[in-house]
Amino acid sequence: MEITVKAHMPGLVARVVVNEGDKVTAGQEVAVINCMKTEIQVFAESDGVVKSILVKEWDEMEIGSPMIILEA
Amino acid sequence: MIKKLLIANRGEIVTRVMRACRDLGIKTVVVYSDADKNMFYLKQADEAYNIGPANPVKSYLNIGSIINAVKESGADAVHPGYGFLSENASFAEAVYGCGATWVGPPTSVLNSIDSKCFCRSIATEAGVPVVPGTINTIEGVDDIYRFTAEHGYPIVLKLDKGGGGKGIELVKEEGQVKEAFERISRIGMLAFGHPECYIEKEIINPRHIEIQFLADGLGGCVCLGERECSIQRRYQKIIEESPSPVVTGEERKKLFEYTRKLALAMGYQGAGTMEYLRSEDGNFYFMEVNARLQVEHPVTEFLTGIDIVQRQLTIASGQGLEIGQEDVEMKGHAIEARVYAEDPVTFCPSPGTIKKLDFPEMDEGALRIDHALEEGGTVPPYYDPLLAKVIAWGPTRLKAIDQLKRGLTDFKIEGIKTTIPVNLLILGSERFAKGDLNTGFIEALFTKARGDVKPLWPNM
Repeated sequence: MEITVKAHMPGLVARVVVNEGDKVTAGQEVAVINCMKTEIQVFAESDGVVKSILVKEWDEMEIGSPMIILEA
Repeated sequence: MIKKLLIANRGEIVTRVMRACRDLGIKTVVVYSDADKNMFYLKQADEAYNIGPANPVKSYLNIGSIINAVKESGADAVHPGYGFLSENASFAEAVYGCGATWVGPPTSVLNSIDSKCFCRSIATEAGVPVVPGTINTIEGVDDIYRFTAEHGYPIVLKLDKGGGGKGIELVKEEGQVKEAFERISRIGMLAFGHPECYIEKEIINPRHIEIQFLADGLGGCVCLGERECSIQRRYQKIIEESPSPVVTGEERKKLFEYTRKLALAMGYQGAGTMEYLRSEDGNFYFMEVNARLQVEHPVTEFLTGIDIVQRQLTIASGQGLEIGQEDVEMKGHAIEARVYAEDPVTFCPSPGTIKKLDFPEMDEGALRIDHALEEGGTVPPYYDPLLAKVIAWGPTRLKAIDQLKRGLTDFKIEGIKTTIPVNLLILGSERFAKGDLNTGFIEALFTKARGDVKPLWPNM
């Protein structure tokens, strides 16, 4: 099953801290969004393997923008 | 005199500089990113140029793009505002390079203040005290052990070329030295490209006192009083006031003398601010120069009646100050509250659309709001969370506080969350009324008010 990690805050992607193929657990930090100069962590909602990364540094995010796809 | 000014910034400071231009009969050119294309001030300016996408690196920090707008518009001067490129020597040089005037200090000043150690050495030579510590950068942990053997802990490691609250490491005991030194060097390399750091003794619960000055570069230099900015969070100021409840007349005179000496030693021209720390035992230490117009400049304008932005423009046009220190009158008390687009409980950013906006009844000379807000306008998530500044004046400190409370209470912003409740909580506290301020104030107040609500940001 595929699970999409979405942005929960608007802003710019500061960095993605996982790589494709990485195993992640629920609650693990996978990316960081810079919103109004504050860094906000984005967490994986469930366990899984990173299937693809859809964003790169400086991409503009809205609430709900897809960021990372996990294979659970 | 400047004829056409390009304002290389966004938000409230653009409207502020435009007001000074109107007063002086100067034409205005504004620049905007894609995210700001509907800002109302674009229509009020004589010309507006798109300088790139929302990402500030590609727009408001993009020297090439802004310089193109300077050339295209034929602006003969550039005001950089604060933040963004306001203290960037390469930008200032590029402005001069296309034949325009830079509204700010000379590039020589911008280049030298980049290094905190250089400023510490200038200050020491001028006889102005700096926070005890090393004047030069250190080579390694051995320098730290040598320093602490004599002066003890706690110490603070600071990046020589850091800024924005980044690159400061508190070291409480010997066991933390190695890790702190490695961390600060790494941050310095990554964030600024300069790993060098130096040592300062930690000043416990300091008060932040700064002196606003104007220097005309022709030998004229006046100080426009101090501002106390001790109410801070994450190194970000929230409330600023003048005069400081703690600075005596004698101390003010001494701070003015320090400031004049430093400004002249640096060859400063324009408006600037010297920041000092005041320790609990009443000593003042020079910290740094802010070589730009500051966010909190309206406090000083209310106190002295001097329009700092107009003065920046006349000084940049080559005019002398034509006033001496004895002509600067400081009347009553002025205080400013910064309103941020943040949740007042968690301090989580709150960008969005402004659905409804109500302003308090203004009072020229006693209540002013600097902002770039309008109903239906957006507050984009890409830039600083500062929404507006509410500035109040009163014949006494308590009357100024009351006026500010009225202004904040009647200032209604709907659609996004703001820190107005935080401002009111601070202003309503007994400790604030007594003037018992220091940089740990917010943390102490919130630990009490919040009870068991967990802050989102551990260091607030």
